Formats: sequence, C-alpha cells, structure tokens
Amino acid sequence: MKFQIEDVTVYFPYDNIYPEQYAYMLELKRALDAKGHCLLEMPTGTGKTIALLSLITSYVLSKPHAPLKLLYCTRTVHEMEKTLAELKLLHEYQIRHLGPAAKILALGLSSRKNLCVNPRVLAAENRDSVDAGCRKLTASWVRALAAENPSVRTCEFFEQYERAGSAAVLPPGVYTLQDLRIFGKEKGWCPYYLARHMVQFANVVVYSYQYLLDPKVAGIISKEMQKESVVVFDEAHNIDNVCIEALSVSVRRQTIEGARRNLHRMSQEIDKFKATDAGRLRAEYNRLVEGLALRGDLPATDAWLANPALPDDILKEAVPGNIRRAEHFLQVLRRLVQYLEGRLDTENVEKEGPVAFVTSILNHAGIDQKTLKFCFDRLHSLMMTLEITDTDEFLHIQTICDFATLVGTYARGFSIIIEPFDERMPHIPDPVLQLCCHDASLAIRPVFERFQSVVITSGTLSPIDLYPRLLNFNPVVSRSFTMSLTRDCICPMVLTRGSDQLPVSTKFDMRSDLGVVRNYGRLLLEMASVVPDGIVCFFVSYSYMDGIVNTWNETGILKEIMQHKLVFIETQDVVETTLALDNYRKACDCGRGAIFFSVARGKVAEGIDFDRHYGRLVIMFGVPFQYTLSKILLARLEYLRDTFQIKEGDFLTFDALRQAAQCVGRVIRSKADYGMMIFADKRYSRHDKRSKLPSWILSHLHDAHLNLSTDMALHTAREFLRKMAQPYDKTGGSTGRKTLLSQEDLEKMVEGSLVDSLF
Amino acid sequence: MASGKVVKKAKYKSTVKDPGTPGILILTEEKLVFKPNDPTSSNKLEVDFKFIKSHKHTKEGSNKPPWLNLTHSQGSYIFELETFPDLHVCRELVGIALGKHGEAAKVVSEEQLSAAEMAQRIKLLQEDSKLQKLHKELVASGKLTESEFWATKKQLLDRDENRKSKQQIGFKNSLIFDTKPTSDGRINQVKFQLTPEIKYQIFALKPAVHQAFLNFVPSKMNEVEFWNKYFKAEYLHSTKNAVAAAAEAAEDEDLAVFLKDDEILEIEARKKVRRVDPTLDMEADQGDDYTHLPDHGIFRDGSKEISEAQNSLYRRTLLQDLNRQGAVVLEGKTLDIEMDNPRAAAEVLARRKQDSDAAIEDERRNRISKMNQIEDLQAQNDHRFAPLCIKDPRDYFDSQQANAVKALDDSQAGMEKTKCSLSSEEVYGSLRASISKIKATGLRDPLFSPEVALKVLNELTKNISSTKSHIGKHSQDSVLDILPTTTKEKLLDQWVCSQELLRHFWSSYPITTQNLANKTRRLKDAISQVYSKLEEIKVSAKSDLRHQVSLIVHPMQQALDAALLHYDADIRKRNAKAAKPNGF
Repeated sequence: MKFQIEDVTVYFPYDNIYPEQYAYMLELKRALDAKGHCLLEMPTGTGKTIALLSLITSYVLSKPHAPLKLLYCTRTVHEMEKTLAELKLLHEYQIRHLGPAAKILALGLSSRKNLCVNPRVLAAENRDSVDAGCRKLTASWVRALAAENPSVRTCEFFEQYERAGSAAVLPPGVYTLQDLRIFGKEKGWCPYYLARHMVQFANVVVYSYQYLLDPKVAGIISKEMQKESVVVFDEAHNIDNVCIEALSVSVRRQTIEGARRNLHRMSQEIDKFKATDAGRLRAEYNRLVEGLALRGDLPATDAWLANPALPDDILKEAVPGNIRRAEHFLQVLRRLVQYLEGRLDTENVEKEGPVAFVTSILNHAGIDQKTLKFCFDRLHSLMMTLEITDTDEFLHIQTICDFATLVGTYARGFSIIIEPFDERMPHIPDPVLQLCCHDASLAIRPVFERFQSVVITSGTLSPIDLYPRLLNFNPVVSRSFTMSLTRDCICPMVLTRGSDQLPVSTKFDMRSDLGVVRNYGRLLLEMASVVPDGIVCFFVSYSYMDGIVNTWNETGILKEIMQHKLVFIETQDVVETTLALDNYRKACDCGRGAIFFSVARGKVAEGIDFDRHYGRLVIMFGVPFQYTLSKILLARLEYLRDTFQIKEGDFLTFDALRQAAQCVGRVIRSKADYGMMIFADKRYSRHDKRSKLPSWILSHLHDAHLNLSTDMALHTAREFLRKMAQPYDKTGGSTGRKTLLSQEDLEKMVEGSLVDSLF
Repeated sequence: MASGKVVKKAKYKSTVKDPGTPGILILTEEKLVFKPNDPTSSNKLEVDFKFIKSHKHTKEGSNKPPWLNLTHSQGSYIFELETFPDLHVCRELVGIALGKHGEAAKVVSEEQLSAAEMAQRIKLLQEDSKLQKLHKELVASGKLTESEFWATKKQLLDRDENRKSKQQIGFKNSLIFDTKPTSDGRINQVKFQLTPEIKYQIFALKPAVHQAFLNFVPSKMNEVEFWNKYFKAEYLHSTKNAVAAAAEAAEDEDLAVFLKDDEILEIEARKKVRRVDPTLDMEADQGDDYTHLPDHGIFRDGSKEISEAQNSLYRRTLLQDLNRQGAVVLEGKTLDIEMDNPRAAAEVLARRKQDSDAAIEDERRNRISKMNQIEDLQAQNDHRFAPLCIKDPRDYFDSQQANAVKALDDSQAGMEKTKCSLSSEEVYGSLRASISKIKATGLRDPLFSPEVALKVLNELTKNISSTKSHIGKHSQDSVLDILPTTTKEKLLDQWVCSQELLRHFWSSYPITTQNLANKTRRLKDAISQVYSKLEEIKVSAKSDLRHQVSLIVHPMQQALDAALLHYDADIRKRNAKAAKPNGF
C-alpha cells in the first residue's frame, strides 16, 4: 500500500497496516525531519522492523537531493538476515511501484567466518582461525612474496577481486550474507572484501552493534560513514550493556602466560630481522618519528582490530620516544606484564580507579600514562613490521595492550577490580584483573556525535526516561507505543503459589527448597498437558536450570513431562543449542509439541523468536536479577548512583524486569498470533516489581491474574486457548476501534486527522 | 474423467533422490500446475501437456511410494502423491490429457489400474450385491465418477489391503537411563534387564556405543561383556566424578570408548548446523561480535556462568542427553527393524545414516523468507480452505434456536413487523396500557377458543393414532413391513442411493475448487432426480398406504431438500461474492 505521511509518500509492502505502525512512522519521520535522535518503544509483534525500513527508505526516495544512508544495527547475525529478508520484500515492492528509480544497494556485513567462500580457509574451526587463515593468504607481504614465488599460496577469490579493481562492484539490490556468498562464488570475488568495500556506497548497511559501538571494530569498518546517516539500533534494550562490554578488558593468569610467550616470539622475530633486514626496523622507526597515520596508508587486508579507545581520545601526535624502538617497546611490555602479574597475586579483592592504577604503574614499573595510551598502536605497527600473519596466536598480548591503552586514556567511568577467586567458587583460585567500564555513554557518544539521527528502538525500553540518562543524550522524540489488539491475544499471568498453595519464588533462600522445585515442575507438567505445540521456559541462570532439571529427573517429574512433549535445552555450547532449537521447531512443526528450556540473559532469550506455534506459552521461572554480589555490578551501581542519581534497587529491578519482559515478549509476532505468559514468582505480584514491566504487558495483566495458583492458572489457560483458537475479525471493526487499517481507512483517517485520537 | 480437473497434495521432486517440495498438484486437461505449500519456494511449475511426452508411475505392490513421473524433453517431473488412489486419479487424467494432445501418448505404465486394486474392487462388488447395485446406479449413470465412488468406500478397500502396513511406531520418549538395575540385595551385584527395544534405543542415542558394538562384537568380546562394560561406564558417569572417569578411561581403552564424548555425534552436529534455519543460527554469531575475543568484555559480572574446563572430556550432562533424546525421537524409527537381533539392529542403523546432503543451501534460503512475512497484514488471498470454526456448543444451539424463531417469523410473513427497539418509556407505557386494558375488560376466560385447541390436538395426534392402528401390538414392526415388497425395495434402494449422494454432496463443501463445484452440480441434478422419484413412489402408493409412505419419504425428502436449499444458497452467496471487486 502507498500512503502519505506529511510530505513523504510511504511505500509499505503489505495491504494493511497496524495503526501503531503508522503512528510509529509518524514519530520517526518527525525525528528525521528534526535531524535528531529518538527513542521508540513499540511492543514486539507489531512489525517494528518493516515500519522502520519502509519509512526510512521512502523518506530517502522522497528527498533525492539529500541522500541519507541507513546503518541498521542488529545484535545477532540471524536478526541481520531477517532484517535483510524483510528489506528485500520491501525493495521488490518499491521497484514494482516506482520502477528502477527505487533501486538501492543494501547489504549485510559480518565477519570473515560468515562471508568467506574459500574452502581452505573455511575448514578452520572458529572465527579467529578463519581470520588468521584469510590473512595468511591475503596479507600484502604474502601477496608480494607470491608474485615472486608462485608456490606461495594466495586466495584466488581475493586475487580475482583485486584484479577486477574498480570494476568489482555489487549491482544494486538487497544482499543477505547468503546472497553475498553466492554472488562472490559466481564472480570469483571475495565476498568479504567486496562487502567491506561496498559498505561505503551502499544505501543500507545492516551489521552488528559492535561495528559501530566497539571502537576496535568501528575504527576499521565504520570510519568512513557519512554524517548524513540514520543509525538504527534495533532490539536495543541491552544497548548499555553492549557499550560497557565494548570497553571492558580482563586479564587472567592465562593472559599473562600467553603474553609472555608472545613477547618471547616477537623478540625472536626482531632478532631475526636485525640480522637479515635491519632496514625494515629502521623504516618503522622513522615512520613513527614522523607520526604518520598508522592505518591510513595500509592496504585493507592488513587492517586488524583498531584502537580500543575512541578515535577522538587519541591525540594526533607522534608515538612517544621511549617506545619507538622495537626492543624498547618490548621492554616496556615486559615490565607491564610483570607488574600485572604481581597485582594478580593477591589475597583480597581490590578495587581501584584508573588514575590511582596508572600512578602505581608509573611508580612500580616506570611506565607513564602517555606510553600506556600508545601501547596498542605501537603493537599494531610492530606486528605489521614483523609481518605476523597468525594474529590469533597473538591475542594475549593484544589484550594486554588494549588494557594499557584504555587505562591510559580514561580517567573516569572505569574501575579496576582484582578478584583472587570467583565469589561462588571460593575453593578454586582464579585471579582476574578486570578493567570494567561503568559508563555506557562513553562508547556510544561518538555515534551520537557523528551521525545525524540515531534511532534506538525495542519492544522493551521501559521506563523510557532511563535510557537517555544511561546513554547521556537528548532525544528529540521519545515515545512508548501501546498495542491496539483486535482481541486479547496475550494473556500474562502472575503465578505466586504452586498446586499446594505454597508460595513459589527463586529468592535465594527459597530456590533450593524441594517444595518450590516440585511446584515449578508440577506447573510445567500441568501446562504441558493443556497447551498445544511449543512451550518455552526461562530460568534465572544456567546453574539454576541445571539444578532444577536434575532434580526433576530424579523425582520423576521430567519423565512425566516427556510423555507430553519433547524436551530441548539451551546449553553453553552454541552448536548444540542451535541444533536443539532447530529440533524444537521441527517438533512444533510436525505437531509433536516440545518444551524449550532456556536462560534469561542467555543467547536464546536475546534473539530467538518463539512466535506462533513455536511458543504458545512462556513460563518465566523466577525474577532474573543479576548476581548482586558481583564486585563489578556493585561498582557499576555505585557509579550510577553517584553520576546519574539512579538508586541501586531501582536499577536492579529495572534490569531484571527488562530481561523478564524480553523473555516473554518473544512469544508474539503479530496480532494474529497469540500466547500466554506466566511469571512464576511471588515477587511479581508486588507493585514495585510489576510496574516496571512494559505497558503493553501491564495493560493485559488483569487484576484477577495477579495472584494465581497452579490450578487457577491452568483453568485460565484452558479458557484462553479455547477462545483464541476461534476465527475472528482481523480488522477489529466490530469493537469500534480499527486495529488493522487498509489504504482507504488510512486516507480517511488522515483527512479527519484522527491519528491522535487512536491512541 | 468428466470433471477434467484434479487437485491433489503431492511432493514435487526434480530427481528421484530429491526429498521433494510439498505442495498442491493441479491437473487439468490442458496443463499441470504445481503450487508449493511454501509460496516462496522456487519450485512452482506450470506446464502444458503438449510438452509432456509420456508418463510412468510406480506399481502399487512395490515398496516404492506412489510416484507419478511425467517425462518431457529435458527430463522428467516426479510427483510423490500421498496415496495410491490419488495416484490413480491423477494418472487417469494425465492419460486423457496426453491422449488429447495427440501423439498418441505412449502410456509406459506398468499396469492400467493396479491389477490388485481392480481385483479388489471387483471382488467387493461381487460380494456385496447392494454395493454393486449402488455402483451401477450411480457410476454407470454418470452421477459419480468411479474414483469418487470409491473414495468414500476407502475403508472397505483399506480393510484388507493396509492391514500389513500399520502405523509406524515412533521412538519412545523416555530416557534410557531409566533402565534401573535390579539387585537381589544379598550379593554385591546388580542386574540389568535389557530388552531389544532398550538396546535399539541405546544405539540410536549413542552412535559411539553403536560403533563400538559393530567393532567389538563378536570379534573382541561377546555381547554380555560388551554390555557389562557399557553399564560400568554409565555408572561412572552417574557418579559425576569426572576425575575418576578419566582415570578409569586411561586404564581401560575399551571403557574409554563409552566415557569419551561422542565423536560421531559431534561430526554430525557440525554437519547439521550448516543446514539449520538461518534465523536460528546462533553459531554464526560466534565471532561476529568481536568482544568474544578472549578477555574482552566483562568476564565475571555474575551474569555469566562459570564452567569447569577440566576433564570436560569426560563430563556428559543430563542436558545434553535430553537434547539428544529429543533429536532421536524426532528422527523417528525405521520401519523394518528386527528388534530381536541387536547385531542386525546395529547394521540397519548404520545403513540409514547415509542420507544425502544435497540442496542444503536452497533449503536454508527458503526457510528464512518463510519466517519473515507478517501474515495478517497481507491481503487475504483466495483461501482454498475454509477456516475451521469450532463453536461453543451452546452458541451453536442458541443460534439454531434463533434461526428457528426466524423461520417462524418468516412463515408469518403476513403479520406486521414489530418495532424492535423500544425506549424504556415506551415499554413502560405499553405495559401500563395493557394492564389498564386488562383492568377494564378483565381476562378473557378461556385464553384460546376451544375450536382452535381441538384442531391443534387433532392435527398432532392424528398420525400417531393411525400408525398405531396399522401396526397393532408389535411395536418392533417397522412401518416398512406393511408395505408391498416392491414399494419397500424401491424405497430402500432410493434411501441407500440418496444417502450415498448426500454423503458425497456434503463432503464436497466448502467448495474450494472448480472440480468440487462441478461435482456438486452433478450431485444436485442427481438429487433432484431422486427427489422426483420419491415423489413418484409417494403418488403411486395405494391410498391406504399413502400416508405411511409419505411419512417414510418425508424425512428423506427433507434431507434432500436441505441439500438443494444449501446448494442454491451457496450458489447465490458465491455469485454475490464474485461480484465484489476485491474478490473475497
């Protein structure tokens, strides 16, 4: 359908539209007009992504004189694929209606592991070896060598891509990673480098958060993006955590040992070069004296992770004199490693600010702050000079240098915490020195500064006023949309008591209580016998899930559950989890029915949809609080309190409830879909917890469902499922409020400017 | 074949090995169209029969599935139909179509209508004279086609034929470590009861054990020794003492086989993960976020879990077992496994592992776009299937009652229409008026006039009394018995015939294809014929029996009436719908 939003003609690939999608587009359009940032919360299952994509692409089409680029950030690769597939649909529609004028280039960008087509490189197991394998074939010196000596192996795909030169372009279209691989294979061009190259010219780029947020990656991938870009962070409820992770580093015993080995090998290399090719080291020295930009003139294949600190924090000055010589630099690193090892060797938990830490490094190891700051770039330069291709072997020394650079750059927003062992396993010594970032705004600041509009959107951004504070920005539009439902297709319930009417909770003192475990088991068993197709269960942690499943197995409850449905479980092994999910879907597809056990905050909770028959019921066992004794969490809470005046309790509850809402929100995908959500913990019935849930869940949480026991919940479930299985009027015409708009409806609505009255 | 169109569920295969795309096969005399269930699939087909050279199909008795193979110049289209009867219907039409398109379509078919089935049908007809009569009546006169006739008689056909291929038994969804040992309590020994079923389960769940069995038994050890070893390993697992397990494994290399992680499973997992739905592929994420670099990101913030790395080789968790269990149950069981011989079972399992890895990429691509569309935003496309509507029984009866009342209203069409919406004042006013009227005139003594009451009573009891008088004391005696045999025979025949027709008629609703529309049209004609025949019987009956006959005929006619009415209403509705511009 095609309609007008103010001065923009929006092309929407479906025949109908939800009113909230229309309102969402309207707000988004205003934010784009204002060239500002915005924060939009819209419930899952209302087609956020397609609304966003069609508005932005249509906006660009209607203003051809000021082309905007869309940088769409997703958290996971499969979300990237989904987004691109949706964009493909939209693009086809636009081309049908506008002709070739609507042609755009859109592509996804991922790591070499997901894009490489060279079978020899792909044989490697994990990403690092794929990266290293690629570098071994494509590094500039390897290729130079191969030019002289034909027995040196290079990558034929990269060579062909290079030979094609500027002719190597992607024709307009929408390319998923798969399409890129196919295109690459067809043409014989390396899809990874082709994509990297085309990113600059593409109208739409879909990639992972890290490509913008993590300065190490953003430095290479995203540095040439124009200011006139719209950056979208989809599913951004965890964006603060991503930002924090991007700037945090930890050093363990293994790191220290590995770094020692790396240093040893580098000094050997240096000696070798001194004997054979002293000129090269001298050239490097001269380059450093001149303070040449380090990466500017390097070929793309030689680039590796960029500086972990933010670009504008690195002063445009030459590398300090005391580390210009390779052997001097190695000496500095040795002292640093020595110092860190000494600090690791501690009996008690220590906490320090970066300033104090830098001072103590200066006192004990004689390395000043400026030297620390340049460690990373210096290491990078040295490894280029030494022509090291197997970078995956040198990760440990990189970590040390990341650490040094970060600690030398930032004076606040960080703390250094040294723990001799894990709180939960005090008998196993595992010292770790962690540099943890507390301020999410540090990593995201350059994004807000560089780009015209940044859109942060998710199904759960409640309370919406907290995010601007956490990320330290001023949105021009900040809105939370409710969902206009044709029928009550979601049914949230708070279950406080088990079948024996005793309270259930995962509170620390109750979680191992056998009665609670049994009650949870009975709940699942009863539900499995009533609910068709898929059921998803979320637990508060892996260890809790492991414990409870084992207990269920011993007490025979698991056996009974398995008589109703197949059971699949998320484990820490990603491959196994992926297969388990695939089997789960198959079981739901074929009608066998299945239960999936998963963990809040886990990978599945973050990115997998359990829509339609893949999830008719979600049970959230317990409240997924963070581990509150964690030193890092405490330090962060303290920082939040001091800097943003956010109370500890408030933040913890906010964080737990956004995770819970995220988990249960995966169950619904469109208004035709339906699902139940059970919050199984007595603490959810308390107002202070419950009120933190997003409004679209709260509005369906009836008072009668706030304090249920298993049998009552079962009754409610039966009634609900029977009601939902009926056919219904999709437009919601009978209830007076339209929940599905056709083109006519929209035109009528715009004439009468009824938009605001809808909400 | 009169209808000229056949719609069947089928799978399209480009090659024999291809697993096939499920979809709908539509055959008309001009062309064949294949629509995959998944609208995004590229395997759509629309081929004119003039390009088809010949057709073949698999024989019913053979162990091959029902395949229809249409050869064209470049290759062939293979369709796997659901059942052999489906295949025959399709084959019939293809034969006609090819014949029409000249070139004397060479039927390379191994047999015309699988001889076995033909014989079966003939036998059934011979055995059952009534059926034969019905067949003659309906099929010979063209009211029903041969296949339509037999379609409703499936259970008759299947009774003998499908006795051998009973429903496939699935894999039991219970954990194998349910096999608890028994102990007599006196000696330090436990006993395991192993059934062939459990052995099969163990083999399916643990390919490594299975492999070991194939390697060791009977060359290295006998079966009892093998299972002893196995359960010893299981015991070590159950102690959850990874160190002890590692130590034992180091000592006994045979035991190590059971204790170590299953390599075969791992390899298989890696293979499988390549063809997993991309929207689920979490493996792809690994390495896409650079923070997974060792020691980057927050290491110990409490939200992440600590896993013990030591001896992970010898740690197998319940969770993994559960996942494996689910996967195996889903894969299902091969049909013809001789459970009695573990050796044979092991070999069968080994054979079935070798399935093709082809078309993985395509499958992946198809799956992603399937996930993507928001179905209720799309315009409703022409549903070939009417939505299933399960009503609350109370609602249903209420609505029926309302209908009855409405029908009553319609019958009193002459009466003036009452105004339905009244304001409370009006109601109150009218109530007051009537009360005051009663007050003024008083109630009429008999509410109804006695003549009317008598008339009604007579009307109601007339039939009862007359029937009674005829049947006399024997309440078991049916009214039919008093009719002359010829009339009775005729009536029974008509009854059987009309039942058959009605069954066909109602089963063809909702009308979703042209084929069904044609069929209903034919049936309607047949029904009206039967109707008039019944009328004839009624008229021709002797006067003293006429009432009885009409009593018997009445419900039959009512049923036929209902069908005719429904047909007319449906036609009207469909026409009205078709007039609408948006097509639904």
